[in-house]
Amino acid sequence: MEQVGLAATSDVTLWSLFMQAGFVVKLVMLGLIGASIWTWAIVVDKVVTYNRVRRQLDKFEQVFWSGQSLEELYRSLSDRKSSGMGAIFVAAMREWKKSFERGAKSPIGLQMRIDKAMDVTLARESDALEARLGSLATIGSAAPFIGLFGTVVGIMTSFQAIAGSKSTNLAVVAPGIAEALLATAIGLLAAIPAVIAYNKFSADAGKISARLEGFADEFSGILSRQIDERLQSRQAAE
Amino acid sequence: MRGSIIISAGLHALLIGFALSSFSSPRTLEVADVEALPVDIVPVESITQIQQGDKKAPLAEKSAPTPTQRPDPVQDAENVGENKVDLTNKAPKPAEREIVAEAPPKPAEKPVPTPEPDPEPQPEPKPVEEAAPAPQPEPEPKPEPVAEPKPEAPQETEVAALPPEPDPLAEAIENAPEEPAFEQLPTAGPVPSTRPKPETPKPQPTETAEKKSEKPAEKKQEKSSASSAKDSDFNADEIAALLNKDEAKGGGAKRSTETASLGGSKTTRGETLSLSEMDALRGQIQKYWNIIPGMADGEDVRVVVKMRLDQTGNIIGNPEVTATGGSAGTRSTLAGSAKRAVLRAQPYQLPADKYASWSEVIVNFDPSQMF
Repeated sequence: MEQVGLAATSDVTLWSLFMQAGFVVKLVMLGLIGASIWTWAIVVDKVVTYNRVRRQLDKFEQVFWSGQSLEELYRSLSDRKSSGMGAIFVAAMREWKKSFERGAKSPIGLQMRIDKAMDVTLARESDALEARLGSLATIGSAAPFIGLFGTVVGIMTSFQAIAGSKSTNLAVVAPGIAEALLATAIGLLAAIPAVIAYNKFSADAGKISARLEGFADEFSGILSRQIDERLQSRQAAE
Repeated sequence: MRGSIIISAGLHALLIGFALSSFSSPRTLEVADVEALPVDIVPVESITQIQQGDKKAPLAEKSAPTPTQRPDPVQDAENVGENKVDLTNKAPKPAEREIVAEAPPKPAEKPVPTPEPDPEPQPEPKPVEEAAPAPQPEPEPKPEPVAEPKPEAPQETEVAALPPEPDPLAEAIENAPEEPAFEQLPTAGPVPSTRPKPETPKPQPTETAEKKSEKPAEKKQEKSSASSAKDSDFNADEIAALLNKDEAKGGGAKRSTETASLGGSKTTRGETLSLSEMDALRGQIQKYWNIIPGMADGEDVRVVVKMRLDQTGNIIGNPEVTATGGSAGTRSTLAGSAKRAVLRAQPYQLPADKYASWSEVIVNFDPSQMF
């Protein structure tokens, strides 16, 4: 009797476990697999993006501090869509040019406008850097609970099945529990990389943002000095 | 982003594919068909106690007494033997036999005073009922002691012919029993047997109440006649030959089927005091044992107190104190303190069912730890 029961339920491959699971548990498992795919997609995307951003920053700083004229740099960069420090530089230079070409008199107003323009660009760049990190955080915190939900539902149904079969034999009990536990396993499988990736990428994004802010402050100082020099030369000329 | 999603999905597909292929049905646990090994925790005293067996038989794993032949078991028997009744000792048996052996001479002595004792027992029934019929039986034995055994035989035949003793019937029909008796008699035996016949029915119809008094009297006559007959035929050798000369086997009634092996005559139960009981006894005495610290060479003294206790835990008589070592003064002081302690500690609270083990207690006093 028991041998027959064992033979019938000893098929506990992953696939059979998944197929034996109920509708809710299946849904939970599929959702968690989807979350895991999304997590890893974000991880791949972020790794690529951050590497590129860092490389661009290095290259731009090199060019910027090479003694090249700001006008020339602006002309080379304004043609194409740039990101990171380039975008901040272009935004500031655009505002500078607009103000001086129209013959603005107030240096304080000009300075404020340039800073605002740079802040807006900086915020936009930071947003782009931190995009989808929120979903990583959500997956990292919610996936174990979702998996647990699947497990609880699975165990509930398996206990109902046990009550129906009126047998407490472990061979009857075990497959249902194993199948239910698979949901928790998948949930943890999705959550652990998500949490690690979230911590890593939020730190990276913070570092890059700090670098951009530093550049913006420095460039603001340079422009402020330029404004003063231009005003003094203009006053001397008058 | 789309590229990274595709990469991620591809990685997951690979991972799941690998998992499905490699994490196939895990190897089922092989549960060996091992019989559960029963482990019993047995108190050690059941092993150390003496098991019932044979003291002369060789040692075996399980001690058993000598096997018995009788199959019928006797309930609650403790001692092994062939008897029907459980007897504790072999000694009393032969003693009884001796008495039996002495018995035959007694009847031999009796017949000598038969004429004298006969009247003695007879007067006893006489005062109880009636004095008149009593003298009648008396003359009967006197005239013909030889003839009497003969009437006995026909009487027996009558009884055999009429199993339901027809005493009331005899009253109704006197002649009827006589006629068949006559018919039988010629076939049964010789002529003289006819005489007593009319004699015996006569008293029966005359007085029914007297029958009782007569019957014991007759029986006594018979006995006396029998004993007198033995007197004549008494042969000590013949009687000795008839006596059962088998040695009394003694023993009890417990049956044993196993081969004999070494053991005691009885299974003893855990009679020794347990460690906790000995500790309790020690503590009880120690509470009252006061010694003066700082006594010179007190460490060398050993005091042994031997005392006998009764069931209630009180000391019977005087405890026997022996002290050794140390100087004479210290010795006597410590011996006195030990004796006082033992006397003050009574009554001793010890398990009553183990009285056999603590009826005599020897207490060793070692003062070396007290200094």
